[in-house]
Formats: sequence, structure tokens, C-alpha cells
Amino acid sequence: MAELKGATGKIARVDLTTKKVTVVEPPEEVYKKFLGGEALGLYFMVAEGLIDPKVEPFSPQNMVQFMIGPVTGVAPNARSVIVTKSAYNFMTVTTSGGRAASELKFAGWDGIQVVGKSDKPVYIAVVDDNIEIRDASHIWGMSTEEAELELLKSVLAPNEYRESILTEADMTPEWAALRPPKGKGIGAKRLAAAWVIGPGGENGVWYANVITEGARAHGRYGAGAIVGSKNLKGIVIRGTKGHVLADKGKFLQLAREIQASEATNYFWRSFGTAGIGARCANSEDAFPIRNWQWGAWADPTVVKALEGPWMDAASFVKQMACPGCTLHCMYLTEITSKDPLMDGVVTDMPDWEAMGQVGGNLGYCELEGMTPSDPFTGDHWDLMEALAKTQYTTFLHDSNGLDYIEGGALLALLMELIQRNLITPADLDGINLKWGDVHAVDAIVKKIVRKEGIGAVLAKGTWETAKYFAEKKGKPEIMNYPSTGHRYGQPAHDVRGFDKDALEYVTVVRPCEHTGGGGAGFLKKDYPAAIAGQNTQATHNSLVICSFAAGNWAGKIAAMVQAATGWTDFTEDDVVKVGARAYALGRIFNLTTQGIKDPKKEWDTLFPHRWFYDPLPTGSGKGRVAYDGKPEVLYDEALPAYWKTRGWSEDKGVPLADTLKDLGIDDIAEPYAAKLR
Amino acid sequence: MSQNLQERISELQEQLRQGVISRREFLRYVTLLGVSLGAAEALAACAPKPTPTAVAPTAAPPTAAPPTAVPPTAAPPPTVAPTAPPPAAEKQALAGYMLRFNPAICTGCLICAVACADKWATEYFPEEAAKGVNLEFSRIRPMRSQYVDIINVCQDCRLIEWAEGSTKAPCEQVCPQGAISVVPEGQGKPGYTGMGYLNIDRDLCLGLDLCGRCLEVCEDQFGSGISFDPIEKKAQICTRCGGLPTCVEVCPEPGALLFVPLQTNGRYWAHQPEEFFELTYAKLYAERRDV
Repeated sequence: MAELKGATGKIARVDLTTKKVTVVEPPEEVYKKFLGGEALGLYFMVAEGLIDPKVEPFSPQNMVQFMIGPVTGVAPNARSVIVTKSAYNFMTVTTSGGRAASELKFAGWDGIQVVGKSDKPVYIAVVDDNIEIRDASHIWGMSTEEAELELLKSVLAPNEYRESILTEADMTPEWAALRPPKGKGIGAKRLAAAWVIGPGGENGVWYANVITEGARAHGRYGAGAIVGSKNLKGIVIRGTKGHVLADKGKFLQLAREIQASEATNYFWRSFGTAGIGARCANSEDAFPIRNWQWGAWADPTVVKALEGPWMDAASFVKQMACPGCTLHCMYLTEITSKDPLMDGVVTDMPDWEAMGQVGGNLGYCELEGMTPSDPFTGDHWDLMEALAKTQYTTFLHDSNGLDYIEGGALLALLMELIQRNLITPADLDGINLKWGDVHAVDAIVKKIVRKEGIGAVLAKGTWETAKYFAEKKGKPEIMNYPSTGHRYGQPAHDVRGFDKDALEYVTVVRPCEHTGGGGAGFLKKDYPAAIAGQNTQATHNSLVICSFAAGNWAGKIAAMVQAATGWTDFTEDDVVKVGARAYALGRIFNLTTQGIKDPKKEWDTLFPHRWFYDPLPTGSGKGRVAYDGKPEVLYDEALPAYWKTRGWSEDKGVPLADTLKDLGIDDIAEPYAAKLR
Repeated sequence: MSQNLQERISELQEQLRQGVISRREFLRYVTLLGVSLGAAEALAACAPKPTPTAVAPTAAPPTAAPPTAVPPTAAPPPTVAPTAPPPAAEKQALAGYMLRFNPAICTGCLICAVACADKWATEYFPEEAAKGVNLEFSRIRPMRSQYVDIINVCQDCRLIEWAEGSTKAPCEQVCPQGAISVVPEGQGKPGYTGMGYLNIDRDLCLGLDLCGRCLEVCEDQFGSGISFDPIEKKAQICTRCGGLPTCVEVCPEPGALLFVPLQTNGRYWAHQPEEFFELTYAKLYAERRDV
């Protein structure tokens, strides 16, 4: 095979059952069609038969893929993607920033695919071509932060190490006499990067995630649960091969342009996603408050606790960037609180999703006995405590390796069920989960992580928990309260206010994802624009780059791919097409693996009752519901129109044979699509 | 007294600026006044020269205008925007400076390392460098432990003569080949080496497989400022690009990485990576943590 540029042409397949590592070398045409990341991962999921319903998510046959793309390495905004079959039995495509992505390219790999199951806890150590499966019993059970620190010091590159040879004869006599005892020696550098799971992933919590750099998460769909099911604690990587590029000069020039334009963006550079809270969400009436019973506080003072400038003044310590990025959207914080449970805990931000999902959503911001409709009578120290609770709950999820979007949706559901007396504290092993009670949250999350008592039920996530209680209590109305789409926690963006159109959540191929792109198109009902946005975002996840830098990369993606790979015929049209392939494969995967016969009944309408029937009580969107309270307009008019625009069947949303042929994926996808039609 | 000293230095700077005395003379006079050489070089750098080249003041300028037409205090040409950095070619190489970095501001974006790696790989391995970018060629390596970014680069340590028997850099002292040495001003390759900064002679270096003493002493007692290229495995050290450091030029975070007059013996500033991580963590988050 011709030597690839940009990508390395090699993917490591690690079989934890046999402890063997093989090298997968996809042909260049496959790289050209799928690039890497999301699209290439989905290609393997379909082409290798993991789409089959017989492959159970937690079975050794399931494959978990850590993927990067052709520009990952020295391009700005490096990210990695994990692709697998989710604990929830749909596709997992979940991305994270961090150095491990670049390091994997420097080690000479486009991805690591893990299959099988180890008989005892292990981690994978990658140093260039050398991949070892090592015992992880010393880090099993550790939090994500602790485990990662252990892994970072466990590998060294060959050019960082040799045996000690220095003697006193190499020094002046005076210096030799003064020299402190030897001991630190060679190998003091820390240039590795790692992905790890926490206790949540080890114990198979369905929404466990994979963490890197302490607080960056491949957050969604329970990738950590699948990693944990293989007895794999993490992967540590050190690469010394660099990033091979077809046209280095052009590539670095484009990179500098992207970096320079990012450096003028003081939205991200000031507060990261923390700039969203007050400035957007509360004014758009789309702030998750108390399981979405409210979308805005009647008194906007409250939202100050969770907005960038205030959080920065109160707690931001340091900013942190992904490789090559000048947006540095992540801010590390140290909690200040009068509550010793929280005081002094080090965590990140919280960023927007956490501010929403484990902040407003859990009733942390109102004073005791108040509701979000009441005026705020506290002072800035009360706001500080609200922030502390949000930060602590973020820490609780990151540290245990859990998705705080799904986790926040679950906790908020339980709190609302208690509020409505649909369940009692006795149903939660005596924990009285009241709005704003961070100690109760702490107790219940620890139960979930250990799968102890009711924790074993809650560990299956929001939707399964609602189903369990609806059945146990004989109260079917409980199913009106889970804030889930496609049976997975709805992120901190609402569809009743002015943030998102409901169709965006319904159609995004990564179930109920908030970063699917195309938002502006959906709000204007311009489906071709929405679809182009979605496809482009799926391509971002295949390159793999960050959606925060989408505007800085706009118009430069094809040029970057060309400079990286040397494919001079790769155009901006192809950029959109890669994403279209990911969408078609993802759709077919989700329907096939779940054995869905009637998508409209079993899949596409699994969205919150509240969207259509519970008007916003306060704020700029007061009285609003999604689609004027007419779900049939969404599901029977908008959705088929969207499917038609995609070239999918209007009754079931299955990609048509011609569409698959146009996309060049009929060879792998048509057999499954034909069965679905 | 200090006022007299300042006045005298200002006079000398003015004379240097006008070309009445040479840079070498300036350094001599200023050090005679009791100023350290490093600080003297910094002062020399603060006295802008009339032209970037060594044209004598009596010589006719390149244009036809008579010399009196340009008063010595003339404002810079109006075409140069005051905020725009001057092109690298016009920047002055600075002697007696040090890299100062602030781990609270650094974001760990690696942009410095990419630029450094590309520059030095192109210098020594042009064929390899044309194929891509490899951070192993970088002399500056931002390193990340959770929530902490530190910059790992040579800190220009010096042994102390009265105590340790030498004023050389420790790595320089233990090199059996004499491959590590200070390249004085006027020697070396402008923009790469010289101006009184360390450099490694790759022809003399034995490489990591045979030697590695420089790395060992650095990591054992000082920092971790030596690295080895991935091809020949020969030692690499930061040369401050001969007084024009590329890393500082490309750093996107104001204040994270500075090239500033040397304040003290470099020995004082070196940190071993582990302790640097742990101290920085303790400073930022008021908590002890082992890395």
C-alpha cells in the first residue's frame, strides 16, 4: 500500500482475550471515504458485523475504538473519538479534546481498537510501535485523576532513557563533594498522555465515560462502561514519530491562520462555555432548572452564580488548551465553600453542560424554600454556595468517570419524582433527594457508582429508572418526567424556548446530542442547511477537530485535508459527504442493532412529554411549548420532510439504495438498509 | 550615587545609540561601573542602534538625502503601526537574557514546541523535516500533569566557581567530548546560536546510546533540559535561538513565555519536572499532590 500522509494507515487491534495485538491497514479508498474518527469508526462497526443485534454491548465481541483523523497531530484543536456499541444498545460516538489524541498520531496509529475481555484488570501502554498489555490491579478502583497520574509516569520513550553512567570523575572534585545523593536519575520527563475510566466504568454504570487530563471527557453514551466491561482501566501513549504531512508548509500556514483567528475570539478565551449561562440560556428561556420545570429564573440575579464573569471572579484558577488551540476553553477551579464536603475540591469550571445539568437542574441556585419563580433575597455568598454545589457535582461525576449530562438528567428526575410524591425516600434507600441537597446527591451518586442497593437500578440511567419506578409504583405517569431523548439524557439545551428546534434532537444521529450542528437551519426550517451543518459536524468528528473552532476552520477543512494527505481532489463537497456517510451508517446501525421494525413507534418519537405539554412558566418564552403542543407536526410533517431531503425513506427514515450508492457505501450498508426498508 | 550611575549609563547608551562608541566599548565601560555583564548586555540592547547594520555614522545613508536631513530623534516611519510586531529579520538578538514562563498563564497549547521542532528539524534534518513535524526535535516541551502545565526547557544553570569549582553549565562540565559550550557573540548562526548561549556540537556529541551524561546530571540535580533527537539520538539543548527565541515569538498567551534580562544565576531557577508539577499544583490549588 502506498504510504499515507496525514493518517498513518495503521490501526492497532488489541485483543484482550488472547493478549495479541494485530495491525489493521485499511486501504486508502476507505480513508478517503471516511477520513477517521466517527465515520471510520462507524465503517468498522458496520463492515465487521458489530451492527448485528446478536453482539451484546457488554459482550467480549463488542469492539471499542479510540479513533483520530488525518489532521489530528499538529493541527489546531486536536480531539479523539470513541466509537463502540453503547451500553444503551445504540451507537456510541463520543469525542474529547486533550493531548492523548495527538500523542496517538505521534506514536504512529490512527486508532486503537479493543476487542475481547481480559481475565484481570489491565491497561494498554503504547510507545510508538510497541504496544503492551500490562497489569492494572494497582490502579483498579482508583478515581480517574489518581489512575491517570499513575499511568502518565509508567511509560518513557526510548530517547528519554538510559542506565546511569555518571561518575564523580565526570565532575570537578568540589562539585562531586557537594553533590546531593543521586536518585532522581534519568526519566524525569512527563510526556505521555492517557485515557482512563473511573470506578463508574469499572462497575459497568451505563453512562460511565472515559476521561483524560483529569476533567476532559468522552462523555456520552457510556463508552466507559464498555471499556470497563473489558477489564481495561485505560490507555497510556507516548509517541516519537511525529505527524507526517503531504505539504507541511501549507499545513502549518493554515494552522497559523486558524490559530490567529481563534486568538481573537474572547468568548472562548475569556470564559469557555461558561459564557453561555446568563448571556444565552436564561435569556433564551432554555436553562435546565429543576428537571426543566423552568427554563429561566424569574429573578435574573440567580443566574449570576453560573455565568462566566462571575464564576471567573469567584473561582477560575487556570486556563488549559488542547494541542494547537488558542481558545483554551477549559478552566480549572478550586471550590470555596463553607461546607467541608466541598471546600478545597479541585475540578474544572463547570462548563455549560454541567452548569445546566448538575447546576440549575438540581435546584442548586435557589435559597431553601424558594422556587425559581421567587425573587432572590440572598447575597453573593449564597451564589458562591450555588456555584460550589455545581462544581462539586461536576467533580463527583468526572472523578468517578460518569457522564454528567445523563447523570444530571437522572438526578433531576429522581428529585422531581420526590417533589411530586411519585416516589418516596424509602424508594431511594432512605435518601431524601430534595432540590438543592448536595449531600443527598453525593450519597446517591456514590451508591450508583458502587451499584449498591437502588444504585444498581439507577446505574442503568434515566429512562430505565423511570420505567422501573413506573412499574414498581404502578404509576405510568412517571414516564412523563424523564428528560430523555432516544432513552438518553437530554443535554442543557431546550426546545420550548429560543435555543433549539426539537427536530434537531430528533434527527441527530448521535442520540439526543446537543453538538450535532445545523441548529440555525433547523430553527429556520431550512432542512438542506440543517443537514449540511449536521454533515459538517460529523466530518469534524472524523478529522477530528473541535466544534468550538468550527467558525475558524470554515472554508479551510478541505485545504487542511489536502495539505495533510496530498489528496488534491478532496474538496469542500467531500467534507459534507463524509458526514453524510456517517449519518447514513449511524442511522442504519441504530435501527439494526436494536432490531427496530417501526422506527416512528420504537425510536424516533422517544422524546420528553414535557416538550409538548408543559409550558414554560417564566422568562422570555413564558407559555411556550415545542411545536405549539402538536407533536404530530414534528413527527409526521417535519421529520419526513427532513428524511426526504436526506434521501432517506419518508416512512421509516432508512437511506434509499440510490442514496447509499451515491455515497459509495452501498457495499457495506445496503444489505442492512434493505432489511430495514 | 545610583543617580550618577544611571546618568552615566544613560550617557553611554546615548553614545552607543549615536555610534560614538561600539557595543563592545559600551559593555566594557558599563561593567567597569559595576554592572554585571548580563545586565550590561541588556542595557546595550535597550539602546536602539541608528541602523540595524554596522554602517558608520559618517557614512552616507543608502538614500540620497544628506545625513542632517534625518534628526537623531526622528520618529519611526509612519507606515509601521505601533502595535504591529516588527518582522523577525529586524528583531535584535539579545544577549544576557533568559526565558521566563508563568505556569498560571501557559495553556499548554504546544504551539511553542511545534515551532521549535520545525525550526530545528529543518536545520539539522531538512529531508526529514520536509515530511512533517515531530515534537521530539523541540528543545522546549510543555508538559502536562492534571490541571498543571509546566514548560520544560533548559534553564541555563551555572555551577558556582567558589563552591563547585567551575562556572560552566553542569551539562557542559560533564560532557566528555566538550560538545556543549557557550557560543559567544559574533559567532554561531544568527537566529539559531550564539550571543552567549549554550549550544551542542552535533559532530562531537556521542549520543544517548554511548553517553547521556548531560541528561543524567540535568535530571539528577537540576531540571530536565536536555532531549535527544529521534534519528541520531544526539543531545539537544535550547540555544535561545541565539537571542531571538522562536518560542517566545509564537506564544499566543501574553505573559506566558517571556524573554527578559537575566535576573540571577540560572542555577536558582531550575526545577525538576516532578517538583515543578507538585509545587505549581500546590501554588495554584493550595493543596499537596504527588504526581
